[in-house]
Amino acid sequence: MHLEIRRLSKSYGFAWALREIDLELRSGECVALLGPNGAGKTTLIKTLAGIIRPTAGEILIDGARFTGQTARRLPRIGLLAPGDHLYEKLTAEENLRLFLALYGSEKRAAIGDALAQVGLQDWGREYVSAFSSGMKCRLSIAKWQLLDPGLLLVDEPYGVLDGGGVDLLEAYLTRVCRSGGLVVMATHHVARAAALCSRAVILKRGRVCFDEVKRSSWDSFFSAVGDFVPRGEAWPS
Amino acid sequence: MAFLKQTAWLLRKDLLLELRRRESLLAMFFFGVLLLFIFNFALDIERTKATEMAPGLLWLAVVFCGTLGMMQLFQPERENRCLEALLISPIDRATIFLSKSCFNLLLMALVELVVFPLYWILFGVTAWDRLPLVFLYGLLGTVGFCVLGTLFSALTLSARGREILLPLLILPLIIPVVLATIRGMDAILRNAEFAESLPWLNMLIAFDVIFLTAGILVFEWVVES
Repeated sequence: MHLEIRRLSKSYGFAWALREIDLELRSGECVALLGPNGAGKTTLIKTLAGIIRPTAGEILIDGARFTGQTARRLPRIGLLAPGDHLYEKLTAEENLRLFLALYGSEKRAAIGDALAQVGLQDWGREYVSAFSSGMKCRLSIAKWQLLDPGLLLVDEPYGVLDGGGVDLLEAYLTRVCRSGGLVVMATHHVARAAALCSRAVILKRGRVCFDEVKRSSWDSFFSAVGDFVPRGEAWPS
Repeated sequence: MAFLKQTAWLLRKDLLLELRRRESLLAMFFFGVLLLFIFNFALDIERTKATEMAPGLLWLAVVFCGTLGMMQLFQPERENRCLEALLISPIDRATIFLSKSCFNLLLMALVELVVFPLYWILFGVTAWDRLPLVFLYGLLGTVGFCVLGTLFSALTLSARGREILLPLLILPLIIPVVLATIRGMDAILRNAEFAESLPWLNMLIAFDVIFLTAGILVFEWVVES
């Protein structure tokens, strides 16, 4: 997959959330999207997902112009937002069955395995409303494992997961990249992003202020991040 | 084929959720019954007049119950941002519109199945033989109401004060549907010639088709906005 973002802008009234973003992303990359609150990370993620219509600019996926309307004709786009996108009064299995049907997937027999892989094998027939935030996030991982997206957008996944859940998520994201998928992850967790991702993009007030592929010594990255993230728990020791 | 299958899956999901949440149907049902009782206590109507007034009073109850249901229509999609999940899935967005319209229609049809005979009982209307025709006619009107209501329910999804905004938007626009339904029902209850109700029937079908087509075409833009 080849994703091109050309002069992408989005405004909410008079406030610009994104301003003339230019990016080119390719299959196999795991891109960390960082920036302070209000930088435009979630807006960019949702614009890439086709949920938000940009004010100006365009997104090209494999050379084809992408809008929300064309989403159904393009490679699958996944959005992993912890705790979101699951029906509370459906069971875990019913949620997975519904989305498999909507995506035209035939993997219904694999639902049990997918739930087992994320440690929810005993929770398949429970309503999602009984799940904790971390369990919902695990269920979302199972959902996207089954749906197999070409572009996976992840919005701040670390806040709700326990240690096992984080390992599970990172193993899954690594698998997506290795199998030729593209991952774009918005996060505030600098250490995790630096360890997992192959490229970092930093947004500030809707503009890209840093875009670099990972190097063995990534001083420029830590220096750029240091402007808005105080050194602490989220940093590598 | 995939379009119909996806619509069926979404409709199944809505029915399952309603069965478990029991929010819309029960509220609509009790509201409809309550309205009829209030009409019955407040209006001292003779039996002959009750037949004449049936279309107007019944539709008043239907419109109020329907508006109540429409406020809850996208509630499951609002929770956990499930609408986003549907929007990024590779389905035609018209499937969301069609499934919601069908779901809405089913709920309202169930309410009408109770409310219409109850009116006959409460007000002592004797024309029981005309009740099925009145119901069928009412159902045609309900199609237009549901289709338009679904569209505006989606449009006001993230609007502030949507509980006030939604009826304000729907009610003026459904006047042609209400008018055609009431006049048609009236002709049936008066046992008038079929030719008398035909223009209203044509008008009703035309509005249903126009609203349905327009809904399918514009829903994509409505949910994105």
